[in-house]
Amino acid sequence: MADSAKIWLNRINALQPQPLRILNVCGGHERSLSQAGLRSLLPEGVELIPGPGCPVCVCPEEDIYHAIQLALHEKVTLVAFGDMLRVPVNVGKQGVRSLAQARAQGADIRPIATPQQALALARDNPGRQIIFFVAGFETTLAPVAAMVAEGIPDNLLLLISGRLTWPAVALLLHSGEIGFDALIAPGHVATVMGANEWQFVVNDHQIPVAVAGFSPESLLAGFWSVMRQRQERRLFVDNCYSELVTPQGNVRAQQWLQQVFTIIAANWRGIGTIADSGYALQPRYIAHDARQHYPDYANDARHRAGEMPPGCGCAAVILGRQYPHQCQLYGNPCTPRSPVGPCMVSDEGACHIWWEHSPVNGV
Amino acid sequence: MCLGIPMQIVAINGYNARCQAKGVEREVSLFMLQDESVAVGDFVMIHVGYAINKMSEAEARSSWELFDELLASHHA
Repeated sequence: MADSAKIWLNRINALQPQPLRILNVCGGHERSLSQAGLRSLLPEGVELIPGPGCPVCVCPEEDIYHAIQLALHEKVTLVAFGDMLRVPVNVGKQGVRSLAQARAQGADIRPIATPQQALALARDNPGRQIIFFVAGFETTLAPVAAMVAEGIPDNLLLLISGRLTWPAVALLLHSGEIGFDALIAPGHVATVMGANEWQFVVNDHQIPVAVAGFSPESLLAGFWSVMRQRQERRLFVDNCYSELVTPQGNVRAQQWLQQVFTIIAANWRGIGTIADSGYALQPRYIAHDARQHYPDYANDARHRAGEMPPGCGCAAVILGRQYPHQCQLYGNPCTPRSPVGPCMVSDEGACHIWWEHSPVNGV
Repeated sequence: MCLGIPMQIVAINGYNARCQAKGVEREVSLFMLQDESVAVGDFVMIHVGYAINKMSEAEARSSWELFDELLASHHA
């Protein structure tokens, strides 16, 4: 660990903090702090809770089902970020459980890492319809909006399943007993959307916030900040990632988001429908909207809250109400090799991260 | 998906840039930074192939160290 991280740890210890539950809402944060073993280094009573920070995990089952059926039954090429391919949906034994299984059955499904790859594929195959299944938060949807604003070919269609980060936090703050005392806001979402977006947590709920980057030093600085804010009863949105984050964010990117997308009520797997929390294409882009082109594969009957596999604790994990290792399926039979729930699939899922770093003893 | 990777710009052609990180080169879009002055040699934070902001060399290098550890733990 770098010296600067030790300095922040010393500062935290010097505060002699009261018990505190600090929520993070970013898989990147959870990965960094787990990898650095920060849980075991913090004073007793300070809990670090992973919350709804994994876009793959909250992508609703009906959207994955829609993508699977589309790829199986239409003459199209479906592309999606790699993590999405292995996420299982609930089907009978004979059914196709994931995009990966659909691919094995002959559907043309390809993993991609960037929107530019979808664009290149569409340009290289003008006679073929390319469907880009987009799950992600603002950090992914802003680049997709930029791509659309820059101009895309007629044969590139989008199946949008994007989500805004802050409404999930707002939901946690409005659902009965609040399970956390401080928030670490996501550094790259804030790079795009601005640190000011989190001001409501301080103003409306008197909960301290720090925007943090992904190094142990930046995360520790964030923890120290929220502890100190509590002690001094002086709450604000602290920016511990000023290298990239400004109060306003990337204004141009926000304009594209507004130009390309409209904000709708959206279903979150394990959570349910949250008002004003999802992205959908604006009507002017209807020609590129896969939902409009192929409405027959949408199955509203699959739309229900908390549709996790039987026994799976992903819903409680995503809501920050249960740690991954408290799930009855964790490790047996659910592992990254044969995941049962989405949190064990994604690199950003809390269960997958905990399994890799086994921080159980450090809780 | 949310994991950003810092890269250094090697060449710029319109909104497209050739960037490198630790010897690996990638095509990156600068479309989201069109209000900024961006030059060869600058460090940028990349998300799904798009630069979302400029950053200092020091910040980029500390992120790369983090990735080294990440990769080491993945391969362990």
